[in-house]
This record gives sequence, C-alpha cells and structure tokens, in this order.
Amino acid sequence: MTYEEKLARFGERLESGDKVETEDWMPDDYRRGVLKFIEMHANSEIMGALPERECLPHAPTLKRKMSLAAKIQDEVGHSQLLYRVAEDLGKSREAMYTDLLHGRSKFHNVFHYPVFGWGDVAVIGWLIDGAALVTQAALLDSSYAPYTRVLKRICAEEQLHLRHGEDITLELASGTDVQRGMFQDALDRWWLPIMHFFGPRTDRGKDLLLRWRVKTRTNEDLRQEFLDRYVPKVLELGFTFPDPVPREEDGHWVVGDSDIDWAPLDRIKRNQGPETARRLELRRRIHEQHRWVREALSEPAVHAA
Amino acid sequence: MSEALAAVAVALADDELVIGHRHSEWTGLAPHIEEDVAFSSIAQDEIGHAAALYTLAGAIVGRNPDALALGRDPSEYRNAVLCERPNGDWAYTLARHWLYDTAEDVRLEALARSADDALRALATKMRREERYHLLHAGTWLERVAQGPVEGRTRIAEALARAYRDALALFEPLEREEEAVRAGWLPDASTELRSRFAQRATGQLDRLGLPTDIGAVADEAAEFVASSSGDLLAAGPAPPEPAVASGGGGRRGRHSADFEALWEEMTRTYRVSPGATW
Amino acid sequence: MDTFEVFRRAGHKEPFTHCGAVIAPDPEMALLLAKECFLRRREGTRLWVVRRSDVHSLEDASLLELAADKSYRFASDYRDVVAKRERARRRAEALR
Repeated sequence: MTYEEKLARFGERLESGDKVETEDWMPDDYRRGVLKFIEMHANSEIMGALPERECLPHAPTLKRKMSLAAKIQDEVGHSQLLYRVAEDLGKSREAMYTDLLHGRSKFHNVFHYPVFGWGDVAVIGWLIDGAALVTQAALLDSSYAPYTRVLKRICAEEQLHLRHGEDITLELASGTDVQRGMFQDALDRWWLPIMHFFGPRTDRGKDLLLRWRVKTRTNEDLRQEFLDRYVPKVLELGFTFPDPVPREEDGHWVVGDSDIDWAPLDRIKRNQGPETARRLELRRRIHEQHRWVREALSEPAVHAA
Repeated sequence: MSEALAAVAVALADDELVIGHRHSEWTGLAPHIEEDVAFSSIAQDEIGHAAALYTLAGAIVGRNPDALALGRDPSEYRNAVLCERPNGDWAYTLARHWLYDTAEDVRLEALARSADDALRALATKMRREERYHLLHAGTWLERVAQGPVEGRTRIAEALARAYRDALALFEPLEREEEAVRAGWLPDASTELRSRFAQRATGQLDRLGLPTDIGAVADEAAEFVASSSGDLLAAGPAPPEPAVASGGGGRRGRHSADFEALWEEMTRTYRVSPGATW
Repeated sequence: MDTFEVFRRAGHKEPFTHCGAVIAPDPEMALLLAKECFLRRREGTRLWVVRRSDVHSLEDASLLELAADKSYRFASDYRDVVAKRERARRRAEALR
C-alpha cells in the first residue's frame, strides 16, 4: 500500500468513528499532533497543582486541608496517567518534563496566574474545574483510544473536584460579608482567564486536531456550553461578572470573541504569564537539586547491606 | 483530672498536624511523580490522625477540633520541634519521615495498651495506617542507602541532623506523670525514648548507615543558640535542651520556622474565627 | 515450562483485563496458545501475556483497606449540595 492509500484509509477509519490504538499505523502528523496535545494536558495537570498547592497551607479547617490535598493529589495522578499515554507515542516522560521545565512546551493559561487566598480555591475548584470538565468530557469520544481510556477516570475524578469546588463556593456564598468578598474578588480576577481557557474561535479549515477527530468540538461551542451552565448559577448566588460581562441573547449567555481582550493570552502562549517564570523556576530548582534521587531510583544497588 | 489526657492528645495531635502540614508542602513538587501521589496520602493520613486526636481532646475540654488545630496561639502548640523544621531537600524529608514514623510506631505500640478506651481504640486504628508509612519510609531509606554514593551521603547527613530532634519527640509531655499514673500513657516518655533509640540505631546498622548519630546528638545537646542564632558552647549543662537542639516543643517553645508556619496555617481561619468554611 | 498470565482487551473503551493463564515454554508459544484458549470467540481485539514470575503482588492485602476516615475522597461527602445551594440562594436574596 502506498502512503497515500494508507492515509486515505486512515481518514476513512476516523470518518466512520473508528478509534486509533498506539500500535496502529498513523500518519506522522497525527502522532505528533496527539502527542503534543496530550503532553500539554499532562503538563497542565502537574502545573495546575502549583497554584492550589500555594493555597493548601492556609486551608481553614482540617477537613478542607485533607480534601484540598486529595484534590491536588488527583491532579498529579492525572499527569501521571497522561504522561504514560503520551510516552507511548514516542517521547519519554523525562524529555517531556525537561521541556516543560525549560519553557519549551505549553500548559493551560489559567495556571500562569497568581493566587491570593481561599476565594481562589473556590473559583479554581468550581469554575475552572467546571470549564476543564466541559472540555475534557468532549474528549471522551476522541479518536485516540488510549487517551479516552484514561480520560474516563480523569473525568470521574474531576466530577468530584467540581463538587468539592462548589461546596467551598457555597460556604463562602452563605458566609460572612468577608467570605462573600473573597469569592467576588477571586471571580473578578479569574473571569477573563476563564474565557481565555477555551481559546479563540476555532478555524475549522486549519484545525488539524479537529479534522483528525482528536478534538470533537470547537472552542466557541465549548465556551457556550460553559456559559449557559455556569453563568446562571453564579448570578443566583448574588455575585457579579467583570468584563467581559455575559449578556443574555435568545436564551443563551453570550460572550463574543470580540468582547474578549486576547492580549494576556498571547503573552501566556509565549510562556510570559504573570507567574510562569516563578513557577517554572521553582520546579526547575527542585528538579536539579534532586538528580541524586533519580539516580538512586534508576541505578542498581551498589551498597548491599 | 482527665484534662491530663486531653493535654497528651493535643500534643500528639500537634505533632501530626504540623508534620502533615510540612509533608503536604511537597504536593506537586516531589522528585518523582508517583511518589508525589504516595507522599500526599501520607500527609493526608497525618492530618487525619491529628483530626481524630483533636476530636478526642475536644470532647474533654469542650472545643471543636478545628478550633484546637487552628485557633490557638503559637505558644500553645505542643508539637516537637522536629515536626516544624522546614522540609529542606528530599533527603531531610525522608530522614525525618523515617525517624518520625519509627518513633510514632513505638509510641502507638504503647498507647494501644492505654487504660483509656477511646485513646486505645484510636491508637490501634492509627497503627494500621502507620504500617504503610513505615514500609514506605523503610523501603525508600533502603533504596537510597544502598544506592549511589551521593544519595547515601545525603541521607546519612540528614539522619544525623534530624536525629537529636527526633529524640526530643520523647521529651516528657505536659502532665505526663498524671497520665502515666492513670494508665492512659502505659509507658513514660523516657522509656519510649530509649526503645526508639534502640530500634532506630539497630535498623540503621542493618542498612549499613552510620549509627554514631546518638553521640552527635548528645554532643549537640551541650550547645545552646545565642541570640544571633550561632551555636555557642554552654557553660554549665543547660537545664533542658534548647529549641536549637530539638527540645522545648512540649513546653510550647518553638523555632522561628514555626512562627512562619503558624502564620500561614491559621491565616484563613483567623479571617473570621467561628465562621463555617 | 512457565505459567503466563493472559490479558485481553475488547474494543477501544475498556482497559486490558485478566482472563486466565496458559502453560507454555516461551512468550511466543504462550501467545499462540492463549489466542485459542481465550479469544476464539472474538472476545478481544488485543492480547498480552506476562510471565507469572514477572507479576509482583502486594502480599499484605490489609494495606489496601482504608484505616481511617477518607470520606472526603468520595462524592457521597457532598450529598447535601441541594440544601447548601438553597441556603446560599437565600443569603444572596437577603442581600438584594
């Protein structure tokens, strides 16, 4: 079979809804695209641990301290699952991790921002995890089967995180004025990054991942689902939105592409977000200080007891 | 009288809370991703044990567990100084983890014979979880001790640094005599201390790690911190070990690192004490 | 000869699952035998064998029990969400 024939058959397979396994033949573009996509997802899970890690020391009750730790633990666990799936596409975890440390690969925009207090835990846990769940649930039908298998577990755990985040939010919303203020303040800071999270309108002609059915829905479609689901819930709790303020149109809550200031996202895409350098530097420093741990784990025992 | 029991439970809860807090600082940054997940569980377990012990104490003194955990002044905490030391690197964290859990096993072994029903039941339950902690710490220690020279050197140094602090886990607890007399504490701290030292050095010897750390510890106890923080030779033997050499925690004397930890740990709680979170 | 544990995966959705074992001299033979022993009715689309001696098991299964309260790891811990939503709504209304 010629390459063109293989490619055509691969396209037909995807068209018919068939899934791709690691050992199947796939075009290099597909392999590279899927690898990059899953690598970024894995990077995001482990970088996503850092903002919440910064909030963990000041959890306000013992139970919250344990449940937040457990939530971050799940996220680190997700990165573990995802790096494994990505590795099978031809890049070692060590290589992916090194690229992350040196700013040669990407992670989600929301993890480039600073956190200030417990209100951030509520917004991250409820709205950012809510946004993540909308995008991840859409990937459950991705054409790359090994990815969908780990996503099943990831989405189940994200569902729990969402409950956890909503629970924290509801306590703040029912609490003192100071507590309500904590949520509102965090919402004011996070709303624009959450809109960025879904990315700008998808160019269907150019989006290879959409064509290969690695992704199944467009950015604007996902953002719309998020807005319709969460805007009413936030309003109901008596909180208000900063710019870009969602407006009601034909039974939908709308934030148009042109309502969004994209400049901050462009900086983050160049790994120049407000916290990018500091968080990567922290990770890099610890990684470099612990070369000896990796050696101890990978080399055979030299000092038998 | 049972306030002595509460005092014992609070001191042990403080240990668990503070070391759990330190352990949890590795979340997302541990030197191996699978280990990050495993170590987080250990941190969660320790905080869970703290919650159970505060609940036990709270029932006696009429305070809720969160108020005990987060609503006291720094000088009211009775954790051993070992627990509050900064994590340093993975070698120090591992050394402390191993020493702490070995010490805890010695203590829980005794508490599982307590005359107090609630404490006895809790200690028995905690021991089950601590078995994983001990296996985890022991397996890591063995791997590093038998591995390449850099890790071996680092872990030996870290153990030497943490050991005297670990002995101070067995400084007498407040109102200990009362608790021993009532049988709540079946064995006095001094007795547990020598049991711990024997067990720890025995296992280090088996791993081929230096066991003369006990001597280092005794020597270190002869020094006290000057106001500038330097270690100065003391004149006559100090009446009690100073914070710099790991002592004092059981009497509410803590290091500057604890102040910072406390500030951070109680920050949100202090925003509106009594609020629901 | 050795014992080989046999794993198969049916379709794309489920992970590999254990389905039995075969006795064979080497992995190549084990795969050929396992195919007919365990997948002769299209029970799977992928097949693995692993030498039994390469399988390590946690001897002390009691370590897998949850010894303390880990309720916060389960969704059941957030069952009262409806009541909490209602309470937060009332608080918001009172502020309007």
